[in-house]
Amino acid sequence: MTEKKQKSTGLVYVLTGIFMLILCTAFSIGVLITPYEKAKTYLNIIFMNQNMKIMPSSGLNGLVIKENEIETTPAEQIPEEEQKFYDTGTVIRPDFGEQYAILKCDDISLSVPVYWGSSAELLERGACQATSSVVIGETGNVVIDAHVNTFFADLNKLVPGNTIMLYTTYGIFTYEVTEQIQFQNTDKKYILPTEEDRLTLYTCEAQILGTSSNRIGVLCRLVSRQFYNPPEEG
Amino acid sequence: MSKIRLYFPKVLLTFLVIFALIGTGLTVLIRHSALNTATFRIVAEQQALDEKAYTVLDNYFQSRSNSTGIPKEVYLEAIDKNDLRQGILDSVSQAFDYLNGKSDIYEFHMNFTELEQSVSDFFNQYADENNYQKDDVFQKKVDSAIAEAESEILFVADTFKFSTMYENGWLAKAKKAVALLSRVTAGCCVITVILLILLALCCKSRMMEILYWWGLAGLTAGLLIMVPSLYILKTDYFSGFVVREPQIFAAVTGYLQYMMHQICMTAGVTAGIGILFLVIFSIFGHKNDKL
Repeated sequence: MTEKKQKSTGLVYVLTGIFMLILCTAFSIGVLITPYEKAKTYLNIIFMNQNMKIMPSSGLNGLVIKENEIETTPAEQIPEEEQKFYDTGTVIRPDFGEQYAILKCDDISLSVPVYWGSSAELLERGACQATSSVVIGETGNVVIDAHVNTFFADLNKLVPGNTIMLYTTYGIFTYEVTEQIQFQNTDKKYILPTEEDRLTLYTCEAQILGTSSNRIGVLCRLVSRQFYNPPEEG
Repeated sequence: MSKIRLYFPKVLLTFLVIFALIGTGLTVLIRHSALNTATFRIVAEQQALDEKAYTVLDNYFQSRSNSTGIPKEVYLEAIDKNDLRQGILDSVSQAFDYLNGKSDIYEFHMNFTELEQSVSDFFNQYADENNYQKDDVFQKKVDSAIAEAESEILFVADTFKFSTMYENGWLAKAKKAVALLSRVTAGCCVITVILLILLALCCKSRMMEILYWWGLAGLTAGLLIMVPSLYILKTDYFSGFVVREPQIFAAVTGYLQYMMHQICMTAGVTAGIGILFLVIFSIFGHKNDKL
């Protein structure tokens, strides 16, 4: 009888323990659920914002940098049997951070990759094209800039008459320098969209003592469009 | 009947003891670990924050040199990893001076004498070599380059973002909380002791049974904290955070991870003591069983 009583008391001890654990867990969940939801929201905002998530890439700060193989043989050096160009064609709109062109100018020994979009990381790698300008090959103002201490160090040496080539995966575009320009960084007149075909290249004014608010560059007119393929139907 | 009458008060008191224990443990941890400069020093060492901050500065000054033409060495030869380590630790101690009421404002500053000299020397040398006139404009450029560099270094060295917290008023709120924390900790301790005594009084007819109720309270309190803490640690929850600056990411997640370890250890010790009490009770407390 005593043994049976001891067993039932032991069972009560065990059940009390389990009951206590369940009760406390349920109470904690009930009390903490609202603060947890709030905290989760803040955590998501502060630390887990999907828009800020770092993308797998070779770049930094969520930037996906894509490099393309681009042929830079001048049209006249391409064998005659392969020399088949079209005045019109389909431009391929690049993604932000994509290197989609190579800018060349033999007059100042310039050859620089052109990235779509502008950021510190891209400016480290080459010239950047403003996304507010038109894609190379479309009608309008193509605006490209680069650092003065690296790729555009000799931009001020360009003079009217010099030739600028833009090689893309879909064609070759030839421009001729028409005018040297100088403007303040707050002045947007040269980088605004235009109706006529134009290439605007600019950089900071060379000034070793700190950054300059002055911008220098050149305006170029389109000489020729040479698409590799005819326009796609539809 | 008397057994049943005392059973429910014991359950209720144990329930209260569990949360009093959790409150005491957490407030003690916050007071002596979370808000302790030593913790921040350990995290800074463990996460090599000085090296991460230095790499960030290296990239920054390299990037800036493309547009300013000022070589990164002008800055980085005047600021090394030791300076950054000291800067990070200074930001912590200055923040704690504010939190503990030793100072009325939080103002993070570092010693930039060498940096200022280096930048000035570079500008002067450049001006001399290029016959650049050292007028007011020149001096403004020197000052501007120094100010910009100092601002960036302070931003990078403030890995725990005390400046941001101060500017947003969070540090002021924390200061008020810190002032109350000692009283809250003392209050929790007193409540816990009172509840434990009351529980002992309920078991006065059979003192060994105290071990069961205290043990149950300790084990439950420990498990309630330890299980979620272990889940957070095992799933590496904090690694999912997205912070753009690597040194800030390391500081924030390193600190949270360290605190999680501390919480887990404290909870483990509490649960361990609870288990010990229960084991002793199960061995020696079974004679004349009464609830």
